[in-house]
Amino acid sequence: MTNKNILEAVELFDGATAEELESVAALCKEQTYSKGDVVTAQGEPGNELFVVCEGFVEVLRSSSSPELSPRSVVHLGAGQIFGEMALVDRGPRSATVKAASESTSVLVIRQDEFEQLCEQNHHLGFVVMRNIAADLSFKLRHRHLTGR
Amino acid sequence: MAAIYKVSYVVSGEEHPGAILNTDARPQKGDLVTLGSKKFTVVEVIDLIPSRGEFHYLHATLQKHSSK
Repeated sequence: MTNKNILEAVELFDGATAEELESVAALCKEQTYSKGDVVTAQGEPGNELFVVCEGFVEVLRSSSSPELSPRSVVHLGAGQIFGEMALVDRGPRSATVKAASESTSVLVIRQDEFEQLCEQNHHLGFVVMRNIAADLSFKLRHRHLTGR
Repeated sequence: MAAIYKVSYVVSGEEHPGAILNTDARPQKGDLVTLGSKKFTVVEVIDLIPSRGEFHYLHATLQKHSSK
């Protein structure tokens, strides 16, 4: 399966043209992780967006109390994105994300390259920002449903 | 393009954060779902928000799978 095929089934790119998907696919690099590997660490600078291709990642939040263990917030599977908050607000990583499956693969998109593409193509920029908002809303609904 | 189901899986009666993932088929009551190393049974599926394009947004409640 090509990167473009994977991106076609990702809500973030719903509404993008085939040409736009090709442009984004050209920026993607695939990375694979084993269970327990840290993909992003809470508090660190973030300059990549991730798309889960295979397996699951676990999102963990640490509280300000060092004696408390990080709390698992959600597992994200195929087609889900993470790292998008840093793309929107340029803040540090809001959570630690670990591979939760023996074979977890993700597509990595560098923030600066992706932003440059969206600056050049405002239709793509609109589609991505609308869909990021929808994805954050969905995650918030999920969190309300889990009571976490 | 075929329908894509973005599903919010919430686990009932267990300390599990649930999961979000895309599936090709709409989950059905009684389906088995594996999250990590644990197996669960789907006990309820509802439309969470209206569909948009090929994307359908669902909420599924899971319970720990009993192998009896």
